[in-house]
Amino acid sequence: MFDFYQVAELLTPEEREIQKAARKFLEAEALPYIAEWWEQAEFPVHLIRKFGEMGFLGTTIPTEYGGMGASAAAYGVIGYELERIDSGLRSFCSVQSSLVMYPIWAYGSEEQKREYLPRLATGEYVGCFGLTEADGGSDPDSNMKTRARRDGGDYVLNGSKMWITNGNLAHIALIWAKDDEGVVRGFIVPTDTKGFRANKIQHKASLRASVTSELVLEDVRVPASAMLPGVKGLKGPLSCLTQARYGIAWGALGALEAVYTEALEFARSRSTFGAPIASRQLVQEKLVRMAADHTKGLLLAWRLAQLKDAGTLKPAQVSLAKRDNVRAALNAARMAREILGGSGITLEYHSIRHMLNLETVDTYEGTHDIHTLILGRELTGENALGESPRKEAVGSR
Amino acid sequence: MKFVAVIRQVPDGESRLKIEGGKVDLGGVTMILDQMDEWAVEEVIRLQEKHGGESVVVALGPERFEEAIRTALAMGIDRAIHLVAEGYLDPITQAEALAKVIRAEAPTLVFTGGQQADWDSQALGPALAEALAWPVVSWTTQIELEGETHAKAKHDLDEGAEVVRVALPAVFTSQQGLNEPRYPTLPGIMKAKRKELKKVPVSASSKVEILEQTIQEKSRLNKMIDGKDPVAAAHELVRLLHEEAKVI
Repeated sequence: MFDFYQVAELLTPEEREIQKAARKFLEAEALPYIAEWWEQAEFPVHLIRKFGEMGFLGTTIPTEYGGMGASAAAYGVIGYELERIDSGLRSFCSVQSSLVMYPIWAYGSEEQKREYLPRLATGEYVGCFGLTEADGGSDPDSNMKTRARRDGGDYVLNGSKMWITNGNLAHIALIWAKDDEGVVRGFIVPTDTKGFRANKIQHKASLRASVTSELVLEDVRVPASAMLPGVKGLKGPLSCLTQARYGIAWGALGALEAVYTEALEFARSRSTFGAPIASRQLVQEKLVRMAADHTKGLLLAWRLAQLKDAGTLKPAQVSLAKRDNVRAALNAARMAREILGGSGITLEYHSIRHMLNLETVDTYEGTHDIHTLILGRELTGENALGESPRKEAVGSR
Repeated sequence: MKFVAVIRQVPDGESRLKIEGGKVDLGGVTMILDQMDEWAVEEVIRLQEKHGGESVVVALGPERFEEAIRTALAMGIDRAIHLVAEGYLDPITQAEALAKVIRAEAPTLVFTGGQQADWDSQALGPALAEALAWPVVSWTTQIELEGETHAKAKHDLDEGAEVVRVALPAVFTSQQGLNEPRYPTLPGIMKAKRKELKKVPVSASSKVEILEQTIQEKSRLNKMIDGKDPVAAAHELVRLLHEEAKVI
């Protein structure tokens, strides 16, 4: 790992070992093929079971449910290594671990946990998370049109979900829908249930080695036992997002390392006017900015891991790390692409693939701007999200 | 049956080594389980999976070796013995110290790397066999047990290979092609934390002392051949490789 401040020394020996093992595995099994998968818009489904064996799925879920019972930092370094290869691989594992396994573990019944968690941990089952709808993801409450109507001992779900990672790979979908009282509830829906359909989103110029889908639910009937009993309201899905965003804060730094290392190597070997471009001040400034952002980001991520394990993590702290680390990685990828010159526009190099992927990462799981406003609200106590805070003032003019 | 792998920790081949005060400075260098020892570990685990019994890893080296030992445990070895000795020990001295512990363990066989990546020495395996007064099969690419008393093994020679039957206990050293080592997995790493790792301090004095180290630095000649006439360029390239570089 590129590690200017020896943050690895702050990790436990097991966490270091996990990172090393993940890197070795991914460099052999994924790195040589990733550009082709990306170009062909293929997710490497043959790796799902291997991810399970390696312990990438449900890393922090207790061992009694098939998870690894590992630390937040262990989950973090795995996300880092996955995204060092490609944001799509990390996205797959983030969804499975944080958006599917976490809510079942945190809010599921004992039967739901026993039935699904061990299968999700091995990769026998793939899960997806259906919150966002076509009208937009930043305001999931008012944009949620999906309904779960009670009908005797069943619920009947109707609606659609958009931008759903793993949608067409999933055996189960965690669908968030409003019940007859308008309260958001979570449902575990087997994707072979009648009336459930997933449509793969085509023509993506980002996250191409990842499956993104639209989910359509037409009179999808599930028993009441499919509902997550432990949570009501938007805080259910939002708490899952906090888990996933935490992983993204680590993952983005993996992508940052990849583009920084590639740009540095290129700058050392490419010459202009008789000297390597690494000796040029404009190039050095870019490399230093990347290295500085990575170093600061890694310290944030490490500290966040400690807070998470201590149970004192605040969502706004995760917002800051997700927002800043992803934007830093995106900027670094753009700079790396620039340093690589013409070579930088081909998939022979990794930078442009990371750059295009990170456009999505900067957008999903709370856009950069939404996290800015979450932080603004945290600092000032004034809510700039939701209804216009100065509505009266605007109206009186 | 009991299978022992002798391992070492070495700098990652991709690391850049620096010289500080006439010595190699390992600060900032990634240290890994020697790849040839990793093949030995994998083979020992496979032998145990096939024949049952116990697998043990033995290492002689400084405290930092523990990380490499944990890697072997995470791959699936049952327990470890770490002979702790700081500083450089020559292979003969290492073999003598290791032999004492290994004899006490009384294993069916011992596997170690064919070559040690740090000093590019190939001495440890044969020296260990010598210290134990056991036979050695070097550069092993295949091994099959015949009961508890013999093993049939294929090993590389300079210009070929031979198949031998060897009386056990014996020492085997690994060669590329022996196996494809498994990755340590997260469950394996978590389990390794609870496995037995016995530390034994060793006070051996090296028969060889390292006085000074340098890194070979040779600048490239950057000889360019004019490529306008490809046939002439090819002739010139062959001439240079034959007459100057003397490689063909």
